[in-house]
Amino acid sequence: MHDRIAVLRADRGVSRRELADAVGVHPQTIGYLERGEYAPSLALALRIARFFDLPVESIFSLDPLPSLSQELLRRTP
Amino acid sequence: MSTPPQQTYLARTFDDGRYAWARSRRVRRRAVVAEAALVAALVGATLIASSVSGWSTPYFVVLSVGLLGFVPLHSVLNLGIRGVYDRDDRSLDEHQQRMRERSFLAMAWPATALHFLAWAGAATVVALTEHVVPALYLGFLLWFAAGLLPYWHLAWTSPDEPADLDA
Repeated sequence: MHDRIAVLRADRGVSRRELADAVGVHPQTIGYLERGEYAPSLALALRIARFFDLPVESIFSLDPLPSLSQELLRRTP
Repeated sequence: MSTPPQQTYLARTFDDGRYAWARSRRVRRRAVVAEAALVAALVGATLIASSVSGWSTPYFVVLSVGLLGFVPLHSVLNLGIRGVYDRDDRSLDEHQQRMRERSFLAMAWPATALHFLAWAGAATVVALTEHVVPALYLGFLLWFAAGLLPYWHLAWTSPDEPADLDA
């Protein structure tokens, strides 16, 4: 499982502890998610997506996710 | 669906930052080795006592000191795994619950074997030496070790925790 949690946290200026409190897990669990050492339940993935106000598939993927800057360049006409 | 962990008093203790030193992999593994060595030494002392003298003062002293030494050792090990086997489910998040179940399942067969060995070992000691008390202690120690296996597995296999939670 691949995710963009670390990038999104940095972009929004949210600490691991703040995200963990918001989605109801232990702060260490956010660290394990970011390191790819834990695949979240569907409920947790949806809560994280709701926190960032993004579709779940833009945060989590079974395949490696391209960097956000690459995606931005690709979408810019 | 997972539920947010509730911060009980016990959970707050296990999450206390003052005990972060106990959560490094190196400390956890040393605690596992020390605890396993202590239990093995007590089993050895029990076997020696059963074959030599049965219940005796030196054996009582060794057993008492060993079991007293176990208390701080297990406290360190338990702090290292955030006490996930001793806390209420509601104070654990889904990742902690999954880690706990993974180690419990991984050690299910070895624990069953140790349970069998506890019964068989105690019965064998009584049959061969007629010393009942050391036989009971041998059974107790092996049964005790069976219960400790998931703790040891989790403490040994857990990766180092991510640092800097406020970053």
